[in-house]
Amino acid sequence: MFLSFARIIKFSFQDIFRNIWLSLVTIIILILALFTVNMLLVVSVVGETAVGAVHDKIDINLYLKTDAKEEEILALKAKISELSEVKEVTYVSKEAALKNFTEKHKENQEILGALRELNINPLTPTMVIKPVNLDVFDNLINKLNAYDSEIIESRNFTNYKTLLGKINNITKKVTDAGLMLSSIFVFITMLVIYNSVRVAIYTHRRQISIMKLVGASNYFIQMPYLVSSIIYTLFGVLAIMVIFYPFLSLLQPYLETFFVGYNINLITYFYGNAFNIFGLQFLAAALINIVASLIAVRKYSRV
Amino acid sequence: MIRFYNVTKTYHKSGKALNKINLHIKPGEFVSIVGQSGTGKTTLVKTMIGEEGIDEGKIVVGGWDITNIRQREIPVLRRQIGVIFQDFKLLSKKTLFENVAFAMQVCGGSSGKIKKIVPHVMKIVGLERKVNDYPQEVSGGEQQRAAIARALVHRPKILLADEPTGNLDSLNANEIIELLLRINKFGTTVILVTHNREIVNNLKRRVLTIDNGTIISDQAVGKYIL
Repeated sequence: MFLSFARIIKFSFQDIFRNIWLSLVTIIILILALFTVNMLLVVSVVGETAVGAVHDKIDINLYLKTDAKEEEILALKAKISELSEVKEVTYVSKEAALKNFTEKHKENQEILGALRELNINPLTPTMVIKPVNLDVFDNLINKLNAYDSEIIESRNFTNYKTLLGKINNITKKVTDAGLMLSSIFVFITMLVIYNSVRVAIYTHRRQISIMKLVGASNYFIQMPYLVSSIIYTLFGVLAIMVIFYPFLSLLQPYLETFFVGYNINLITYFYGNAFNIFGLQFLAAALINIVASLIAVRKYSRV
Repeated sequence: MIRFYNVTKTYHKSGKALNKINLHIKPGEFVSIVGQSGTGKTTLVKTMIGEEGIDEGKIVVGGWDITNIRQREIPVLRRQIGVIFQDFKLLSKKTLFENVAFAMQVCGGSSGKIKKIVPHVMKIVGLERKVNDYPQEVSGGEQQRAAIARALVHRPKILLADEPTGNLDSLNANEIIELLLRINKFGTTVILVTHNREIVNNLKRRVLTIDNGTIISDQAVGKYIL
């Protein structure tokens, strides 16, 4: 059994190296298909991070009058906290707001200079309200709009829902395009593998006829071609691992610039999930290639 | 050893290739099957090795009813029947030794067994000094000897020779027939398909004559009658 298996592997490598150019083309097509699939994964991770980033930023600011009394503010905070749509309410006093503002613009001397010239704290105290989730956002805004309090100076209701909708829409479109591209590559890969096996069988038709003549089993005749398709897959997946990590290293600085302040590290993600990502890709690609090879072998090995 | 009971085989395009063939070849016999081209000789050989199915009748080889043989059983049958052809069917990129060893390799023979058996059969066919030569470096007769050696590695009970001398000059042809007779002496049943009148007449063995898919003559010590 082991001997037969060893010979199958040997014949399989012989097939690959005797048709080296065809084998290389097959592996390159496989790499392209896997690259598209991995790009799809990158888009998915980036999309999730973008949506997460916007989710983090979703809050509603109620600007209060500067002369609002402490007990009035605390009473308002308590009332708002009671709303079922509210997850958290934070009160930012005038002093805290000024401190935050100064910290945020510490690099900008013009702004800080203008602030010094004013000689007073122009900022108003703020009530920062976080909704439970995005679905209650509209409802909460309606309630806050209807809420009448003398200490409310103004309201800032940025429409995050539209922004998230746009991000989700872009991510979905990119994913759809990627899926279509992946499907095309998977189909091309199947065709190329099918043809590689067909050509390999054509090249070895004399050998196959002799094998049949002397009593080789169908299993022994067909297995090398199936093993070849697994070897193509293995080379393809190893190659994509070698190619994709440097590619991620190139991409990472741009993502970090874009998502400043957010933890997005594709290299860590791909390292952490390497076994799942590339293992599953290997299994899926091997399965597809075995099916393509099996069809070709069944059809053409009757010499 | 081989029995055909009312075997009929029809091809869609060319009609009946075998028509109610009844045949009994006993173990250890040397039988020549003769006939013009296209009379059904090769079809007869193909049905014996399971390469072609039949439409009617029954075929038994070595006590095994192969009439409805399954695909996965064919390799087992092929290991019991050695076959040689007019075009030798050797692999040009392998030496004669490797060609013969290949038959054992693809059937799972161990390296030790290959090293023991291959030199032995190469000696039987008289090629012990040509083991490292490639097919294109030796004569047609020697190529056919290598093909015979390959057919013998599984120690078959039957050796089927389909026009083995068709590509050879008379000297080489006679040597191949001598070799087949020697193999027959060891107890192997030999079936020779040929249309070489001289060879058949010199053999003085059983001759089956086929015409239009029918056995028209079966002589114990026969002559080429067509």
